[in-house]
Amino acid sequence: MLLGIDVGGTHTDAVLIGENGIESTFKAKTDTRNLLHTVTTALKEVTSGIDVKKIKNINLSTTLSTNAIIENKLEKTALFISSGPGIDPANFRIGENTYIINGSINHRGSEVLKLDSPSIEKSMNACIKDNIKVFAAVTKFSTRNSIHESSIAASAEGQADFITQGHTLSSQLSFPRRAATAYYNSAVWRIYSNFLTAIMESLKSMGIEAPVNILKADGGTMPAEVSKNLPVESILSGPAASIMGIVALNKITEDAVILDIGGTTTDIAIFASGAPLMEREGISLEGIPTLVRSLQNRSIGIGGDSAITVVNGEVRTGPERKGPCAAEGGEHPTLVDALNFKGITNHQNKEKSIEQIKLLAEKNKLKPEILADKAIAFSVKKINDEIELLVSQINQKPVYTIHDMIQGKKIIPKKIYIIGGPAAALAVIMKDKIEIVVPENYNVANAIGAALARTTFETELFSDTGKEKMVIPNLGIEEKVSRRYSLSEAENDIIAHTRKYLEKSGYKDKDLKIDIVESSSFRMIDDYYASGNDIRVKCQIRPGVVMNLHK
Amino acid sequence: MLKAKNRLGLVFFPAFDWAISPTHPEREERLLYTQDQLREEGVFDIEGIVELKPDIATDEDVMRSHFCFPDVRSVITESHMISAGGAIRAARAVLDGEVDRAFALVRPPGHHAMKCVHGNRGFCNINNEAIMLEYIREHYGKRRIAIVDTDCHHGDGTQDIFWHDPDVLFISIHQDGRTLYPGSGHLRELGGPNAKGRTINIPLPPNTSEDGFIYTIDNMVMPILDHFKPEIIINSAGQDNHYTDPITNMNFTAHGYALLNEKLNPHIAVLEGGYSIQGALPYVNLGIVLAMAGLDYSHVKEPDYDINYSPQENEVTEYIKKLKDPVLDNYFNPKPDIDRAPVGQFTLRHKNIYYDTDGIQESQKEQIMTCKDCRGLLVIESTASIHPVCVGIEIPVDGCKRCQSEGYKIYEKAVKSKEYISVQLTDRVKKVYKRVKDPNY
Repeated sequence: MLLGIDVGGTHTDAVLIGENGIESTFKAKTDTRNLLHTVTTALKEVTSGIDVKKIKNINLSTTLSTNAIIENKLEKTALFISSGPGIDPANFRIGENTYIINGSINHRGSEVLKLDSPSIEKSMNACIKDNIKVFAAVTKFSTRNSIHESSIAASAEGQADFITQGHTLSSQLSFPRRAATAYYNSAVWRIYSNFLTAIMESLKSMGIEAPVNILKADGGTMPAEVSKNLPVESILSGPAASIMGIVALNKITEDAVILDIGGTTTDIAIFASGAPLMEREGISLEGIPTLVRSLQNRSIGIGGDSAITVVNGEVRTGPERKGPCAAEGGEHPTLVDALNFKGITNHQNKEKSIEQIKLLAEKNKLKPEILADKAIAFSVKKINDEIELLVSQINQKPVYTIHDMIQGKKIIPKKIYIIGGPAAALAVIMKDKIEIVVPENYNVANAIGAALARTTFETELFSDTGKEKMVIPNLGIEEKVSRRYSLSEAENDIIAHTRKYLEKSGYKDKDLKIDIVESSSFRMIDDYYASGNDIRVKCQIRPGVVMNLHK
Repeated sequence: MLKAKNRLGLVFFPAFDWAISPTHPEREERLLYTQDQLREEGVFDIEGIVELKPDIATDEDVMRSHFCFPDVRSVITESHMISAGGAIRAARAVLDGEVDRAFALVRPPGHHAMKCVHGNRGFCNINNEAIMLEYIREHYGKRRIAIVDTDCHHGDGTQDIFWHDPDVLFISIHQDGRTLYPGSGHLRELGGPNAKGRTINIPLPPNTSEDGFIYTIDNMVMPILDHFKPEIIINSAGQDNHYTDPITNMNFTAHGYALLNEKLNPHIAVLEGGYSIQGALPYVNLGIVLAMAGLDYSHVKEPDYDINYSPQENEVTEYIKKLKDPVLDNYFNPKPDIDRAPVGQFTLRHKNIYYDTDGIQESQKEQIMTCKDCRGLLVIESTASIHPVCVGIEIPVDGCKRCQSEGYKIYEKAVKSKEYISVQLTDRVKKVYKRVKDPNY
């Protein structure tokens, strides 16, 4: 059996899935002050009456790191950055302990200016005085040459309980994202590790020995052991859990839209030929871009509890929430109340909905029917407009080759899959334009997605054959290669190294499919003479589910 | 978080799958390191900077600026249409108000492509800035536009296209033609008989450095622009004045390029040449992007700046100072043509053009009408070493009734005569672009 737990901002869902589908589910409010308690309760409830020895795998999606960052419950972290020419590195300070060190590596990975060791030493002494125990080291172009990050890390040894080196997070370029990601990774490390250790202990005490994996924002998992060094990868995994739930519950093969309608927001995701789309660079947290890979997901301020307001005669829904809907005892009518009023839904106390809709209508000299109709129409239009915008942005995504410019595929959604509270109701209203699907068990899709998500992984190889060098930054690999090193050798190497790394790091997923997603070799010419090849190969294990729940 | 003072659109199209030939400077790798640098700097994440996908230019877009012989499809590849489309996208973004400024980092370049096109010269087939400019005039009703060409090579193609156009001010700053391809761009070249002083050439001596370029901008370019008062300023932004460029002899820097763009403050910049793809382009492009966005660029500096850049020699400074008066004179008091035809007649000019990349020799008979009501009908008969004679007829954007009817008369006569393998008519007034080709050719 496979166990999935999704600890969300308001609700925590758990599901246990056996060979024949869902065995049990559990839903409760999240106790944000005691996530450990929330998780252990969910574990106990969802497994009650079940032989825990039958559990083969546990996947956990948690908001712990996200909350720590949003609520600024971060450990004092020293960020060492070194940038060389370009944008002033002072723009990338985070927190109060950023140290800018002179030194420079260029875009080819060549050292241009040695790292200023005396200034590192001085800064390190300041850290010791401040009793700082966690560090992040990020230098520009460290994915091409990590020597400066390694030497900063070396000087922190002895003082540091934990240190993040930027190049270990991702092979992708973007110095500002690398700095932010490394900083957060170190700043949540202790709180995350302690949490994970506590979870492991409770599992042990419950007699559960199954391996534990942590959900990521890209819709995949990583082993708990790996997550200890990459806690930042656990942020914002909730929307991805829901999307993977939809993947498990439906056989999606076409271009499609996924809507997850919550209390105050609706999340929108787009599928291309049945596969969820990724963010191009990485997810942003509190407006700060990071290198954390993520499924593409757009959130707008329309949900079941969005307040209905009338401004200058115009009826609007959301984005603000003024408490729960009237049907649940709130004092202001919401989208759910409008749906109740129209008889589309029958949610809790319908009389209260009618009463509040009438009251607001009267206050604004409108007929109640018209107010409810307009509030629903406004919501549907908002959602449709946002879908249209997102699709057009995806279709306008820049490309860099003539081939992609001419042959590039355009996304045209054929279906909308809706989950979340008012899903069924909105499906009725939206269906005249496009086919709408509301999957069964849509209210625990997030936990299902968590339970069934597979491992994901991404890495990139970079070689300058003129320098006889090959690196795979986030695997920590740097090798000498021959001047005749070829693209096909590079493709073989990256797959072999990735497999070796995954086996060593406790990835249990069998038959992992590693795809080469980008592969290029540029002839480099210096003064009209060939000076080698610039080879770049990127591979990925794409998100997917270990089993399907659809018929 | 950084926030751009000017919202900036970047059309980045490196054409990673296109080259003139495997070891040609204009090859796949050219913008690879620029992309690396811009991505590593996080430029695309700066608030106010957006990356835009190029449009694909249409045959009509090309025919608005060029006479293509025997036709558009014979002289272009897809890459040219995307590069020109990239410039158009940049213009649309600015004129639609999506952004305040735009920079099209596209390749292949275009500023050596002239009015008539038979093939590739100076790495260029069609002229990206000219196609963009005519797109702006046709779709946005703008009239007065200035192009400042800061490529190290004389922008002879752009000069040729706007030679007869009094509403387009073309200023080219370049390494003196006596020392570099294409060999033109001398002080005495200042526009056709109906557009005198609307072409301004500033031939700078080899080894011109930061001081010389900035002096030129402050003392020659800006006073002329301030007087001309263009609605739109375009920078034809070649980056081969850099001290590391392998095919030129100038001494300019990334910081200098950034400062130049800050002073010029162009609405749109379009990348032209620049072939020091590792040592210059990543830094120059970054500098221009930051300057156009109104951001601090003081930390943008080549890694070898302190070792390989040297300040300007006195001799060079003195030479450049002496250019100021004749350059300003060319704009403010241009000498009229003595051989200009009387009203109602054509002024005739014979030209020979060599296409260095494709090895084509072209010879032209160009006629421009002297007209008191418009800028004059243009007729060019062109024979190239690869085709028999072709003809292009252009009724200008403000074409008067007489020039219009005369244009159609010449067009119909040319078609009927069967003397030409290709006859192109460009009627900017009615927005008609047509061509008759010899079916046997």
